[in-house]
Amino acid sequence: MRYIPSTEEQQKEMLKEIGVSSFEELIESIPEKVRLKKKLELPPALTEYELEDEIVGIAQKNADFYKLKPLIGAGAYRHFIPEAEKALMQREEFWTCYTPYQPELSQATLQSIFEFQSYISRLTKMPVVVPSIFDGASATAEAALMALRLTHKDKIILSSLLHPHYQETVKTYLEPHGINIVELPFQNGLTALDQLKHSLDDNTAAVIVQSPNFFGGIEDIETLSKLTHQKKTLFIQVITEAMSLGILKSPGNMGADIVAGSSQSFGLDLNFGGPHNAFLATKKEYIRQIPGRIIGETNDKDGKRCFVMTFRAREQDIRREKATSNMCTNHNLNVTAANIYLSLLGTEGIYQYSLINFKKAHYLEKQLLKSGRFTNPFQYPYYNEFLVNYQGDMEILKKRLLENNLIPPLEVGQFTLKEDFKKSLLFAVTEIFSREELDKITAILSR
Amino acid sequence: MKLIFEKSVPGRDGVSLPKDLFNDIKLEELLPAELLEQEKKSLTEVSEVDVIRHFTRLSKFNYGVDDGLYPLGSCTMKYNPRINEKMAGLANFVYAHPLSSPELIQGSLELMYRLNQMLCEITGMDQFTMAPASGAHGELTGILIMRKHFLELGEKRNKMLIPDSAHGTNPASAAMGGFEVVEIKSNERGTVDLDSLAQAMDENTVGLMLTNPNTVGLFDEGIETIQRIIHDKGGLLYYDGANLNASLGINRPGDAGFDVVHLNLHKTFSTPHGGGGPGAGVIGVKSKLIPYLPTPIVGFNENSKKYYFKDVGTKSIGMVRSFWGNFSVLVKTFTWILSLGAEGLYQCSKASIINANYVLTKLKDYYKPSYDRFCGHECTLTGREYKKYGIKTLDIAKRLMDYGFHPPTIYFPHFEPYAEETIMIEPPESEGKEVLDDFIKIMIKISKEAKESPELLTSAPQRTPISRTDDVLAVKRPILTYDDELELKDELNYQEKDINY
Repeated sequence: MRYIPSTEEQQKEMLKEIGVSSFEELIESIPEKVRLKKKLELPPALTEYELEDEIVGIAQKNADFYKLKPLIGAGAYRHFIPEAEKALMQREEFWTCYTPYQPELSQATLQSIFEFQSYISRLTKMPVVVPSIFDGASATAEAALMALRLTHKDKIILSSLLHPHYQETVKTYLEPHGINIVELPFQNGLTALDQLKHSLDDNTAAVIVQSPNFFGGIEDIETLSKLTHQKKTLFIQVITEAMSLGILKSPGNMGADIVAGSSQSFGLDLNFGGPHNAFLATKKEYIRQIPGRIIGETNDKDGKRCFVMTFRAREQDIRREKATSNMCTNHNLNVTAANIYLSLLGTEGIYQYSLINFKKAHYLEKQLLKSGRFTNPFQYPYYNEFLVNYQGDMEILKKRLLENNLIPPLEVGQFTLKEDFKKSLLFAVTEIFSREELDKITAILSR
Repeated sequence: MKLIFEKSVPGRDGVSLPKDLFNDIKLEELLPAELLEQEKKSLTEVSEVDVIRHFTRLSKFNYGVDDGLYPLGSCTMKYNPRINEKMAGLANFVYAHPLSSPELIQGSLELMYRLNQMLCEITGMDQFTMAPASGAHGELTGILIMRKHFLELGEKRNKMLIPDSAHGTNPASAAMGGFEVVEIKSNERGTVDLDSLAQAMDENTVGLMLTNPNTVGLFDEGIETIQRIIHDKGGLLYYDGANLNASLGINRPGDAGFDVVHLNLHKTFSTPHGGGGPGAGVIGVKSKLIPYLPTPIVGFNENSKKYYFKDVGTKSIGMVRSFWGNFSVLVKTFTWILSLGAEGLYQCSKASIINANYVLTKLKDYYKPSYDRFCGHECTLTGREYKKYGIKTLDIAKRLMDYGFHPPTIYFPHFEPYAEETIMIEPPESEGKEVLDDFIKIMIKISKEAKESPELLTSAPQRTPISRTDDVLAVKRPILTYDDELELKDELNYQEKDINY
């Protein structure tokens, strides 16, 4: 067995040293009644070459996703990933190690996370960054729990344009705590401001709004947060498309108290939905209520700069049931991937990539509307996802796109089960599409 | 080492920038100025070469399983086979959008479906959810399933029993699930004290969360009585799968009466820890709890021979994350199981149990074990007797680094009087006898050093990129970003030896 170095002979020697005559003696404490009396019924072991055939065979039952470019986003975006990142992520030192409990042997992980925190802090204009919660949905739920701890109130207001999976997850996490969850409707593609005035009261712990929202719409966060703060309520901005941070005004400059952001767009593959990563960003005064791990700078004994896990007194391994969260293993490796990605993009790259996403999406929308087959239900500012209504047959549209190696946009009516959106398509456009491809898409869909 | 920020040179690019700038689309005409940042956000300006050198050099400051023994107890730091990584990296998996229509994702669905069958067979459970992203995430999911079960029965139960030896995630997850935690003491055998358990279990209690073998590495031989105590009062038994590496092909939690099981695929199932994730904490349940699983699970239509996402139904606890699971971790797990088969899995557990008992036998005269009995896949020793020389377990751990080993888990588990100054060693099956002999030799050498020249231990480590860290300062003077550091520039006076990097 190639993963077990000790030979049978060596195992015998070891058993002899232990002072037993057989392996069975070592497991005598397992009661006979709970022992497995049969051999596990599993497929036979495969050689490495058979294994490769078997799993490649399964993968081939998927569509050729490398060739298929997605016109769908909805919380998972296909962006270009530079080869330098992919090559660096092959280094075993980053991925065969454990959580950095021993800082002397973990400076690579620790410094890398510190650099990521620094980047996200600059992109969000928030001073404290928790680098890794599993994904945007769980990060939003953790942000809601954090707001409840900070305010000691019992009501949460959610925008109905928060990603449906995020809404579901928040509801699941909050269910045991008897929290009143109120949904804010939307109007013309954006969260309804008037309704917020109506729903907000002294019991409200937090208002949660995604921007760009589920329809890609850029919310008026400044007005929303100002209104929210009138009731000593915290404002949580959720971000599913982190690429937008390159050009859009930073949450910290618009009055957000907590930001829950998926960082999948920063150098992570789609991977059928996971593992991705999300960050939480907040203000300094809230640091003792944040969930999860955070890295800080300090000195070693010789006065050298180094990095450690810090503010640990909040965590489960120390505080047990009084911890701010149960989080232990997170998605640290994806933080390093994002750090490398952001280092490669740099100041100019994040601006230009962010801008070109915006421009390409608007270019496609313009062309589609010009074709006469599409109308836009909303007049709203959006980033790189937009909603249009299609007049023709949806099945034919999807077939045509697939024939041309394109994954169709999201059918919003099917996803959120809302009658009004039967004809609506949510397009996502990233930098991976050229002008020619966007023109071709328009031509295919105008036929 | 320098930060990437300190290597920034204005004007450098690390990525190819767009050529067609779509100048016909004008940002300022489409978005009001107040939605935009007025200045470019400053990150760093470094070339691709700078990035490659920075991270390659930085990577060398980590120690991974590929560098040598990594005997962290309760963490199962086993070798991560390369074929797993290659299979998880297949383009048809990697580029699959999670919201693609079912006919495009038959392969991904088949893999999830077949993995469910395999995990059910290995654990004796009836159905898994692949959604949870980590062990603790799985715990929360499992606890919410248990909660929902009692809500549906109309029973109000508000307490969760947890042994004092449990991982911190257990009580933290129970609290997130809305339960009051009741701690159950361990007995002189290192296992759950049955009298205390019987006393604590009542009709207001959801059940017990148990790791087996437990976190001291001992199999709880009272498991039959435990499950009877819990089930007699209508409770449910939760299995923390952190230590499944001792049980493959030997015993199954499902057969021992566990109702909910979480598995850390990044432990027993060989997927990498990644410096703290991503892993996966899939949850298996007995059939009566299937209606409460997070939605959806993967189904197979016998007529059309197609796989599909099946809605769990109205009793589901809902979603615990976006999308379906940490899919690439599932591919690695699937690959690993197929590469071993039933006999291979058994051999893994057998080898890991022999390894742990070998280390225990060889070291018990030097580091008194918490309990003098055979262990499972890990053993718990203590550094108690070196206290009189002014040596703490921490010093022993740091000294190990000087000899090129990653230290074991220390100070966990911690409960008086049996488990203090603990050193928990888990040498998984991927460690051969020679490696263990080297480790044993060094541990014995350190025990001599502790008596004869304790300063070697208290000043350790000397051969690592940095020496011991000032963790108190990190809280007292928080520097959480490079901008924090810039603000304090004048008072920071680092002794940097490697200024060129």
